[in-house]
Amino acid sequence: MSLTTGLAAVDLAVLASYEEAQIEGEPDFVVELIDLYLDEVPRLFDSIHTAIQNDDSSTAKRAAHSLRGSSGNLGVLQIAAIAGELEHLPNPCGTSATQLLQSLETELQRVKEILNAERQKRSR
Amino acid sequence: MKILIAEDDPVSCRILAANLKKWGHDVVVTHNGNDAWRALHTQGAPSLAILDRMMPDVDGIEICRQLRREKTDTPVHVILLTSLNRREDLLEGLEAGADDYLTKPLDTHELRARLQAAARILELQESLRQRVRELEAAIAERKLAEEALRNLSLTDQLTGLYNYRGFLNLAEHHAKTSRRSHTRSLLIYADMDGLKEINDTLGHRAGSAAISAAAEILRRTFRDCDIIARLGGDEFAVLVPDLQQAPTAKLLERLEQNLRNYNDEGHHEFTVGLSIGAVEIDHEEVWHIEDQMGRADEMMYREKRKKKCEQESASVRGGY
Repeated sequence: MSLTTGLAAVDLAVLASYEEAQIEGEPDFVVELIDLYLDEVPRLFDSIHTAIQNDDSSTAKRAAHSLRGSSGNLGVLQIAAIAGELEHLPNPCGTSATQLLQSLETELQRVKEILNAERQKRSR
Repeated sequence: MKILIAEDDPVSCRILAANLKKWGHDVVVTHNGNDAWRALHTQGAPSLAILDRMMPDVDGIEICRQLRREKTDTPVHVILLTSLNRREDLLEGLEAGADDYLTKPLDTHELRARLQAAARILELQESLRQRVRELEAAIAERKLAEEALRNLSLTDQLTGLYNYRGFLNLAEHHAKTSRRSHTRSLLIYADMDGLKEINDTLGHRAGSAAISAAAEILRRTFRDCDIIARLGGDEFAVLVPDLQQAPTAKLLERLEQNLRNYNDEGHHEFTVGLSIGAVEIDHEEVWHIEDQMGRADEMMYREKRKKKCEQESASVRGGY
């Protein structure tokens, strides 16, 4: 397993770039994106988990693809990279897949902490 | 612009929508293919659609294909969203009829530039549609003008005789002046016999030929100063303004003779017959051509009925 190292868990510059789309008088846009993301990710994890259990490669691939997309959008680089690896596994329901899913879960804890902190900072 | 987004990933969708709104566009957000399809088929539907290549139900490429199958003069401009590393998706999308594509993760500068290109194309299409509408309106106007001109015409195209309008004009004018000249006039109303049968059995070309023949017979019978007209269909009228030259009976006899001569020539595929109503008009009092035409018309019908009865009793006799 080639766990991608050297990448930031969250590239805050990517997040900050969305401030451009902020419309005055509306709730903080970056906070909104963080909430959407943190809401969506557990669903995708579940989907990957169930797909692996059911040996359903196409669903696993699809969910991994979405996870990579969403994460990439918010600068959640590590998760995007691991999801990309999972998506392109020859067998996305094999042992390596299970291992990748575990590392995704570990990584998500770290990401949650960073994003929540960011959220706090911006909600102030 | 009114823009539709179809994107199942909530984060991408929100980012896209936020940018479009920020740039002043009117955004319709959908998260799957079916909703997108419905939104594109409602009143005041968006003219531009940004469709995700991958969606759980109907994907962007399929929507594209179905949109292009529709015959419409306001085609939706479609921008397809694909992942950066899926070139085969991109080709498939363009083949399916997408106008443009964007790769994810979205580069907002590129998005903005693509939207500007789309706006130029949509504006161009709209101005072409506008031009077509103008041309269609101009053609319709022209047709009306031609129609009006035809209505202004005084002669009948097929026979070269006066038409209804020409006849009324001239006859009305004559009615006004005849009181001064103290002349007696003759009004003849003539209806062709059996034109419908000629049309039905020999075709409309033969019908037209029969009408022309009847016109020619009338022209041969009357003088240049008489007003001869085809009122329409199989109806003719003649106004003889001055009866002093020849009495009514003699004129009608000459008409009968000319009809007989024509039919006796024997090489025509049809027989020309006319039922006649004739009214002599005294000019001691004011008269109106339309009243006199009504009288002549009535007399003509009486003759027509008589002819029919004779024909029927003849065929009954023939049956014995």
